[in-house]
Amino acid sequence: MQHTPSIARLGDDALLIRFANTISWEVGTRVRAAAAGIRAMEIESVTDVVPAYTTIAVYFDSARITLDSIVDTIASVVNTNASVVADSSAIVEIPVRYDGPDLDDVAERTGLTVRDVIARHSSRTYRAYMSGFVPGFAYLGDLDPLLIVARRSVPRLRVPAGSVAIAAAQTAVYPFETPGGWHLIGSTTLRMFDVARNPPALIRAGDTVRFIPTDA
Amino acid sequence: MSGLADRDSGLALNALLGNDPNAAMIEWAVAGGVLRFERDASVAFGGADAICALNRAPLQARVVYHVPWGSELQIERIVRGRFLLIAIAGGIDVPIILGSRSTLLSARIGGAEGRRLRTGDSIATGIAVSRVGGDVPLATAARNSGPVHVTSGPQADLFDDLGWSEFLGAEFIVSIASDRVGYRLDGLTLSHTGDTAFPSEPTCIGAIQVPNGGSPIVIMNDGPTVGGYPKIAVICKSEMSRFAQLAPGEKLRFELTR
Repeated sequence: MQHTPSIARLGDDALLIRFANTISWEVGTRVRAAAAGIRAMEIESVTDVVPAYTTIAVYFDSARITLDSIVDTIASVVNTNASVVADSSAIVEIPVRYDGPDLDDVAERTGLTVRDVIARHSSRTYRAYMSGFVPGFAYLGDLDPLLIVARRSVPRLRVPAGSVAIAAAQTAVYPFETPGGWHLIGSTTLRMFDVARNPPALIRAGDTVRFIPTDA
Repeated sequence: MSGLADRDSGLALNALLGNDPNAAMIEWAVAGGVLRFERDASVAFGGADAICALNRAPLQARVVYHVPWGSELQIERIVRGRFLLIAIAGGIDVPIILGSRSTLLSARIGGAEGRRLRTGDSIATGIAVSRVGGDVPLATAARNSGPVHVTSGPQADLFDDLGWSEFLGAEFIVSIASDRVGYRLDGLTLSHTGDTAFPSEPTCIGAIQVPNGGSPIVIMNDGPTVGGYPKIAVICKSEMSRFAQLAPGEKLRFELTR
């Protein structure tokens, strides 16, 4: 049974549509389909449509359109459960050197050997639930339940670009050097975001992702 | 996201110079410096209150000056506010990336190779499209004082009546730990009730996030696009420019509208 999505205001220039309160791939698929549907309407004055795990934000120019008017316009797309677009079928393979500074710590916290941590991380096929944080950062799931550890209590001020990391049931690659609280287990030399590419992001929401262990 | 923190002053300066509203300009923070002009230009500055001079002659904010080749614009210091804006007729000639001329430091995108300007950089200007002399926008001449207006945020319900009255009654202080990513506010740690674990969701400029047992953080222009902290309120768009100009140590209160 699908819940009727709720709509909340997000400041003067955005609204937030909530489809559920807990993460699941089914909800994510519905979110991405609805976001694609809203984008396809090409509503003038809508400046961006951003899908996340269970929500979509619609950003608009409040000088030209009211929140109520947008809600009316998108109601049919939001309330029907039609999969307007099939999910992306792209498969992204990421070579990883498992040399992260938190590898030993993760092994200790999970009670696994380092070899086992690497095997469990690299043997899964992940899906990109959403993009966010910084350009090119894709939230991938689901992690092997035995690898689940809480975020670091003190985030690092600088996580190197290309770091492969885990936190809770998620894994991700940091596209740029940024602060970050995830556990760093490896690194890749792939560029996760490059404005010279089209699209610039290597991984997009809906994609399938595999990590390939490498010694290089 | 991204773009000028004091958007209103930027729009006013571009209008004053006859520029496109989205023409790029220089956002100048913290220290003083000198800009040397290697061609004739028309310039105006605004945003933060600053002491500036052209070839040692003092200048006024929000006035267009015709600057001959070889001149030096001295930025002595910022006296009030945070971001001095220096706009040039024709704008700064930087590439449009993903539909924007903004610089995003975290992604190394835009402007001067995605980084801050530094001494010795050469800055190309665009071609002025119209002669100066249009209406002078006064939007930034006098800034509002008084409480910063907010609307209630998507997780407003996680804060009970007591939490809300504390939030609206408190005097907050802009923390030294604040930059274009976010401003941390000292003065009150808010606690929320109920289940605060929810999946990360989109956020926006001006969203007031409340981490567990912590000081509120206001998302600024270069902030994250998503976040999992409860958003008690969102600063009104018309108040964001003035809020962005609050320097560390300055005090503010919030008032709920509508």
